Amino acid sequence: MIACVLIPGFELRAALRAQPRLAMSPAALAPEAGEEQLIGPVTAAADAVGVKPGMRLGEALATCPQLVLVDRDPAAVEREWEGVLRRLEDAGFAVDPDEQGVVYFETRGVERLYGGVQPALDRALAAVGSGWDPRVGAAARRFTALAAASVARPGQIVLVQEQEEQEFLEPLPLSLLPLPADRYAELEGLGLRRLGELAQLPGTAVADRLGVDGRKAWRLAQSGRKLGGRKARVRGRKPAFELAEAMTFPDAVGNELTLRRALASLLERLLARPERAGRPYRKLALSARLVGGGSWRRAVTLRDATTEAARLRAALGPKLQELPAPVLELRLEAVELADASGQQLTLVEPAGTEAGTRLREGLRQVRASTGTGSVCAVVEVAPWSRIPEARALVVPRDD
Amino acid sequence: MVTDSGSASARRTAGRLNAPRPALVEPRFDGSPKLVNRQLVAVVREEWRVVDRWWTDEPVDRRYFDVVLESGQNVCVYRDQEASAWFTQNA
Repeated sequence: MIACVLIPGFELRAALRAQPRLAMSPAALAPEAGEEQLIGPVTAAADAVGVKPGMRLGEALATCPQLVLVDRDPAAVEREWEGVLRRLEDAGFAVDPDEQGVVYFETRGVERLYGGVQPALDRALAAVGSGWDPRVGAAARRFTALAAASVARPGQIVLVQEQEEQEFLEPLPLSLLPLPADRYAELEGLGLRRLGELAQLPGTAVADRLGVDGRKAWRLAQSGRKLGGRKARVRGRKPAFELAEAMTFPDAVGNELTLRRALASLLERLLARPERAGRPYRKLALSARLVGGGSWRRAVTLRDATTEAARLRAALGPKLQELPAPVLELRLEAVELADASGQQLTLVEPAGTEAGTRLREGLRQVRASTGTGSVCAVVEVAPWSRIPEARALVVPRDD
Repeated sequence: MVTDSGSASARRTAGRLNAPRPALVEPRFDGSPKLVNRQLVAVVREEWRVVDRWWTDEPVDRRYFDVVLESGQNVCVYRDQEASAWFTQNA
């Protein structure tokens, strides 16, 4: 069976770990700076007074003037989510994380270890920890497992057998489907409220009316038997190991020069880590704990995986300018390593080859940033001419 | 990380290298430069003439002067006899 562990409002729960008292009062995750002013997940107390996730900030504050806005803490969310996944992996589950707060795994491999599906899922709930209020759903398909987890109460396990799948899905709301918000409105306008109502429509008609999204939603709303047993498989992730370096400052630091020096030091330490095993970095994440609480995180994917400190500094350094507040701790984490450098080394490098490669790469980058025709070569056309301007031409090079 | 700006001003055609630039020259009675771009000429190091392409519609008739200005700057200027104008150029 495929199991789904669901932790609703994971971002808010992770941010509230540092201030647990707020969990019992009306609180909501603050809108992201520079984004639309919509609140994130809300606590049960806020929900009880009518504040809903995705509400406009002004409307939410008008509905509940005592509402506390919790600053986003992306670094804590990342750390806590990785912790949840690792605890599940330690319990023997090959996890396939979908998004923060939603993870799937296949129970087949651990059923004998724990003595059945139910004990295995009990173990999964215990591994996640009751503090997160996890829900578990298990079924033959990923979507049905997610739907089952969505209707479960905190700490509850909902098992849906394959023969009960259709009966289970039919009364569930359409909001479980992964559709854009305007599509829900369109479906409601057509009088559809439940998954069963959508599933009863002809697939071709749904595809005509709603396009690819609609067709996909229709397929999900069908029970597994109708689809001839086609199921999206669960692929366990390769267990990750943490490759990160952090620096804590005695006082909050806002000076960019100091931060750049700290970054250089972190890079040196990260490059020296033996776990890297000679592999270059493909993706790195820079995060910071901010002075007023909250955190900041930026990920950088490198066009060419590299271990050159200067290139890594050039890629990561400008991100420091985006820091919204002085920093108490700066952390550099390797998110992804490339398998190989992709550049076959030779025992004796032909003279000038390396310089030529670098020059071509440099010119390619200049062309990419300033447009074609910006890189030119000097071509001698009449070096013997007595007229100076007739001796050579400047010709654009786009090769 | 390097985005394509697609700059419309990017050069698409071949251009001349070392094209002459107009110069502000005050000549002496013998035609040699006395002031170049408002700077006094200290020495005329060399003088030569280029007469070429006289058989085309764009004949070249230039009188070059390699001069040293009072500031110590070395400049090459020429008088275009066809256009009756002064230019500076690295000869």
